[in-house]
Amino acid sequence: MIEIAGLVKRFGSLTAVDRLDLKVLSGELFGFLGPNGAGKTTTVKLITGLLKPTEGTIRVNGYDVATETLQAKRCLGLVPDEPFVYPKLTGAEYLLLIGELYGVSLEEQRRRIPGLLEMFELSAWGGELIESYSHGMRQKLVLAGVLLHEPKVLVLDEPLVGLDPKSARMAKEIFLKLAGRGTTVFMCTHILEIAEKLCDRVGIMISGRMIAQGTLEELKAPKGEGSLEEVFLSLTGGHEYSALLKNL
Amino acid sequence: MLLLLLRRRLLCAKNTLLFLAPWEWVRNSAFLLAGLGLLVGLHFGFLRLLAYLNTIPLIGGLLLWKLTAMVLLATFTMVALSGLLTSLSTLYYSHDLKFLMRAPLDLRAVFLDKSLESIFFASWMIVLVLVPYLLALVRTNAYGPGFFAAFLLLTLPFVMLAASLGIAFTLALLYFFPSSRTRDAIWVLASLSLTLVYVLVRFSEPEKLVRPEALRLVADYLSYLQAPTAPYLPSWWLTKALSALAAGKTQVFWRYAGLLLFCAAGVYAGLVWLAGRLYFAGYSGAQEGALRRRPVRVERSLEQALARLLGLDQGPAALFWRERVSFFRDVKHWSQILLVLGLIFVYLFSIHRLPLDNADLKSLVSFLNVGTAGFVLSALGLRFTYPSISLEGRSWWVVKAAPVGLGALMRQKFLFSAVPMTGLALVLGLVTNRLLEADPFAARLSIVSLLVITWALCAMGIGFGALFPMFEVENIHQIESSLGGFVYMASSLFYVAATITILSWPMNMHFQERFGNPSAWNWGLAGWCGGAWLLLNAAAFLLPWALGRRALESYEA
Repeated sequence: MIEIAGLVKRFGSLTAVDRLDLKVLSGELFGFLGPNGAGKTTTVKLITGLLKPTEGTIRVNGYDVATETLQAKRCLGLVPDEPFVYPKLTGAEYLLLIGELYGVSLEEQRRRIPGLLEMFELSAWGGELIESYSHGMRQKLVLAGVLLHEPKVLVLDEPLVGLDPKSARMAKEIFLKLAGRGTTVFMCTHILEIAEKLCDRVGIMISGRMIAQGTLEELKAPKGEGSLEEVFLSLTGGHEYSALLKNL
Repeated sequence: MLLLLLRRRLLCAKNTLLFLAPWEWVRNSAFLLAGLGLLVGLHFGFLRLLAYLNTIPLIGGLLLWKLTAMVLLATFTMVALSGLLTSLSTLYYSHDLKFLMRAPLDLRAVFLDKSLESIFFASWMIVLVLVPYLLALVRTNAYGPGFFAAFLLLTLPFVMLAASLGIAFTLALLYFFPSSRTRDAIWVLASLSLTLVYVLVRFSEPEKLVRPEALRLVADYLSYLQAPTAPYLPSWWLTKALSALAAGKTQVFWRYAGLLLFCAAGVYAGLVWLAGRLYFAGYSGAQEGALRRRPVRVERSLEQALARLLGLDQGPAALFWRERVSFFRDVKHWSQILLVLGLIFVYLFSIHRLPLDNADLKSLVSFLNVGTAGFVLSALGLRFTYPSISLEGRSWWVVKAAPVGLGALMRQKFLFSAVPMTGLALVLGLVTNRLLEADPFAARLSIVSLLVITWALCAMGIGFGALFPMFEVENIHQIESSLGGFVYMASSLFYVAATITILSWPMNMHFQERFGNPSAWNWGLAGWCGGAWLLLNAAAFLLPWALGRRALESYEA
C-alpha cells in the first residue's frame, strides 16, 4: 500500500509536486497520467526514495520512506523510465546482484533466475554483458529483476517503452497478475489505452497538482466523454493543438 | 565541409572559454602554472645536461646530437603509439560520430576532421615536453631563433608522420577485425607498449651520460655514437636537418626538411585515400557488441562467501563483488594498471640508483620517501578512488532504490580502494627501505605513516567523491578535472605535506640522537607532534566522509 499525504517537492522556485494526497491500496493497479513535465517522474522518485520531499509524508506498506528508508525500500520494486544498468555485468549477474541486495536466498535465485531469463526471452543473452543489450532487452532485464525479489509495492515509470509487442503484452499480464496477488502497482504512462485497459483507478496530474482521480467511470461521468483520451485532453487542454496545427 | 567541421570546433572551444565558471578559471590557472613550472624545471635540467655535454672534449658534439636523436626517436615512438590509441576513440567511438555519420557529409571530410583531432591529442603533450629540450639546445649552443623556428616548422610533419602511422594501423586492424574486442586488444597492447617504452627509457640510465666514470665507456663507443639512430625513421631525418642547420649546411637541411615534408604530405594523403575504402567498414563493425556466450551461472561469489563466513551483511558484499567484476572487465583500467606497474618499477629503480653512500642520508631519504610515495598515492587516488562514487553513473538508481545504506556503499568503496592501495604503499615503503637499508626507526616510522596516509587518502577520495558526485558524465577525465577533483587533489597534497612537516620533528630528534646528543628526545614536543598528527588524521578521515555522506543522501538525481 502507498499512502501519500501533503507531498510537496520544490526545485528552487519550481514546484514540481504540489500538495499531493493519494492512497493506493494493496492489490490495486493505479495509473498515473499527465503531460510532459507534470511531475509524474518526480513523484515516482519521491515514492522510491530517490528524492527527498520538501514537505509531506510517504508511507510504503506502513513504513515512512523518510525515516524508515531501508524497510520501505525492501518492499519496493522500481522500473524506471530509462533502464540504465551496469554495462560491465552480464544479465544473469545483474539479477544475482538484485537478489543479494534484496535478500533473496541463493537457492531461490538458482531456481528463479533461469526461469525469469527464459520468460523474457533473454536466456541466450544471460551470459552477455549488458552493454551489448538493446533498450528493450534492458527494460526486460529490469522487469525480471523486480520480479525476482517479489516486491509488495511495484512502481513503474513508462514500463512498456521499448518493448516489442509480445513482451509488452506479457508485461501487462504480469502487472495484472501481481495486482491480483495483492501487490500494489503504481504505473506512470503516456499510453492512455493501456491505462484504460489495465488500471483500477487513474490519477491525472498537471503542473504538479492532481486535478482528477478515480475509476474510469468516475472520470468519464461529469462530461459524459467516451474514452480516457477524451477525458485526458479535456482536462489537460490538449484540444488546443488543432489551432496550432494550422500554422504547420 | 572540412572547414564547417573545423569551425564547429572553434565555436566549441570559444564557448568553453566564455562559459568557464570563476572556480574553473582558478583551477585552470593553477594547472597552467603548475604545468609551466614543470616545463621550466625540465628546461633547466636539460640546460644543465647539455651544457655539461658541450664541455666534454672531442665527443661533446657527438653526444649532444646522439642524445637529440634518441629524444626524437622516443618522441616518434610515443606519438605513433599514442596516435594508435587516440584514433581508436576519436575515429570509432566519439560521441559525436553518430551525428556526423548520419549527416550529409563526405566520409573523407569526417575522417579528416577526426584524424586531425587524433594527431593533435596524440602529440600536443609530447611536443610540449620537447620544447624545453630544444630551447636548451638553442641556448647552450647559441643557435639563434632561426633554429627554433625551423624546429617548430618541421615538428608538424614529424608528428603528422608518427601519428599517421598509428592511425593507419588502427584503420587496417578495425577493417580486418571489426569488433569492440579488437578495440580492447589494441588498447591493452598499446598501453603495454607505452609502459615498456617508459620503463626501458628509464632502465637505459640516461643519467650515466653526465657521470665522469661513465664517460670512459662512452669514449670507447665512439663509433657507436657516430652511427645513426634508426636512419630510416623520420626522427633521424629531423635530427639530420637540425644538425645540418646548426652546422650551417643549408643544402643538407633542405634535403632532410624536404624529405620530411614530402613524406608527411604523401603518407597523410595516402591515409585519406585508404580511409575512403576502409573507414566505414571498420566504423560499422566497431559498433557491434562482442558476444561472449558465457554460460548463465548463479553462484555465490568469493565476497559473498566471505561475508557469510564472517556473519556480515550480504548487500555490501554483493556491491563489492559487482565493483570488482566491473572494474576488471573495463580494459581502460588494465591500461592504467600497466602504467602504474611501470611507474612502480621506475620509482624503485630510481631509488636503487640514487648515489647515496651515507647511512644517515639513506635513512633521511627513507623518511622523505613517505612524502614522494604520498604524492604518488594522491595522484592514484584521483584516478581510482575519487571517481568511484561518480562512476556509478546512470545506474545510480539501482543502489539508491535498493535497501542498502549509503554509508555501507561508501565503506564498500573505501575497502575496494584501500586493499590495492595498501599493497602498493607497502611495496613502495618496504622495498624502498630495504634498498636504502634505512635504520629501524626511520623504516618503522615511514611504513606506519605511509599506511595511515594511504587509508586517509582513500577516505578523502570517497568522501570528496560523495560530496561532489557527477553521475551524468561521459568519461572519467571529466570527473578528475572537476571542482571536486581539484578540491580532493589540493586537500590530499596539503594533507601529505602536513604529515611530513609534523613527523619531521621526531625524525629530527632521532637524527640528533644518532649524532650523539643524549638529550635529543623532547618528549613533550613528541607528544604534541603525536597529538597534531592524530588531529590531522581525524580531520582527513572524518570531515570529507561526513560531509560527503550527507551530500550523497540529499543528492537529487
